[in-house]
Amino acid sequence: MNSMVQVLGRIPLFKSYRRFGWPRLLPLNLTLSPSPKCNSRCLTCNIWMKRENELTIDEWDKVLASLGQAPYWFTISGGEPLMYPHVVELAQSAYKHCKPGVINIPTNAILPSIPDRVERIAKSCPESQLIINLSLDGVGKKHDFIRGIPGNFEKFEERLRELLSLRKQLPNLTVGIHSVVSVFSVGHLDELIAYADKSGADQFITEIAEPRVELDTVGLPITPTADAYKRAIDSLIGYVESKQFRGMAKFTEAFRIEYYKLVKNILTEQDQVIDCYAGWVSAQIYADGTVWPCCVRADDLGNLRDHHYDFKEIWFGEKIKEARRSIAAKECHCPLANASYTNMLHDIPTLARVSARVLRPELPSRQPGLSGSPTTASQE
Amino acid sequence: MAFDWLTRFHHSSEKPANYAEKTLAAYRLGMKGKGSIAGVVVEPAEDCCEAARELVGKVYHPDEAPELPLRNCSRGKQCRCVYRPRMTYQQSNEA
Repeated sequence: MNSMVQVLGRIPLFKSYRRFGWPRLLPLNLTLSPSPKCNSRCLTCNIWMKRENELTIDEWDKVLASLGQAPYWFTISGGEPLMYPHVVELAQSAYKHCKPGVINIPTNAILPSIPDRVERIAKSCPESQLIINLSLDGVGKKHDFIRGIPGNFEKFEERLRELLSLRKQLPNLTVGIHSVVSVFSVGHLDELIAYADKSGADQFITEIAEPRVELDTVGLPITPTADAYKRAIDSLIGYVESKQFRGMAKFTEAFRIEYYKLVKNILTEQDQVIDCYAGWVSAQIYADGTVWPCCVRADDLGNLRDHHYDFKEIWFGEKIKEARRSIAAKECHCPLANASYTNMLHDIPTLARVSARVLRPELPSRQPGLSGSPTTASQE
Repeated sequence: MAFDWLTRFHHSSEKPANYAEKTLAAYRLGMKGKGSIAGVVVEPAEDCCEAARELVGKVYHPDEAPELPLRNCSRGKQCRCVYRPRMTYQQSNEA
């Protein structure tokens, strides 16, 4: 089974790979998007209207077999990933071939079949940490308005109760709340923090709404201004700092604070700020088998159907070189959380600040953070 | 804007042969599926032809949108004009 220690051991190798092109490595962090179909109608996302010639589960199995045990972190995204009919088999295939440390699945929490599918994944992947993050963009009708589905908030609360109950029997299950900070929600982030604090969830994570090619949101005014984001996120940083975390949660919360500060810097400086490792350490496989370095740029690096379902043919091929050149030349910058956490792991000053925060003496005035202590690094 | 680079990147990406068909089909479904898409607009490249420039500001139903690349575009698949969705919240902001 992939462990965090093995991940840390690969950091200098990835730094060398990005700089010198050697040693050649497969990604640690892989996002699988088996289908764009989604039953939400969010103001901040248009992916639900896409239709693709999707990889079959047998095709996914071949792709995952080609990756060996390289990936430590899988995100199964969408669309709504828990609506994808073969999501359980997909997670099982990833587990069988890759032995990942973490399988992370965001969900809109609408379908009543979600707890059953989560239970089946958690039970059949017992040595991986399964993180289920329920999307919440507002409390009550504000959530329904942003997500475009009347009654969504009620369903969210129902699914949250069910998953928290399930967590008691499943030691490898972490249940979190995930909020997208957009122009529509930035004004009520305090309300979301207060709700999450009392919810019983293991973690509360946020990600800024940024345009992405994947979501067909390029050019749409969904990203809050740097000032509005700074005001909102400073409240969240203040909240996290007022809490006391133990064990791995102390580490993950320190990383989270660094991420929020990184986003503020990216918005202000309009620059990568720290080196981006998308295309070296992280990647995404889209529903039709196209490999992307990330979902923001969505460069077409090649389709697995044209490469015998062998990820290595694309990853070590010619076409990826131009995307890597462009990313290394800082021709792009974004605060995509999934890539940012990987990037921070490869940034020595960030690691030093995280270490200092973890080693800082605890203050007696701090309250315990959320309900549980997530046992693994979180990544939106 | 923090994401101007992405807009430029999107404009400069080579268009697949079925760009217009696939993109307009998505917006068509977007309107039928009761999302927030009110229509489609053409966002011309900075150095676009006069014909593309004349399309600025018009909101089309996907069935009636002009096909990109425009018929006489000299750039072909390298045409830098793109479709964008027109969202209901953008229209209400302008009203």
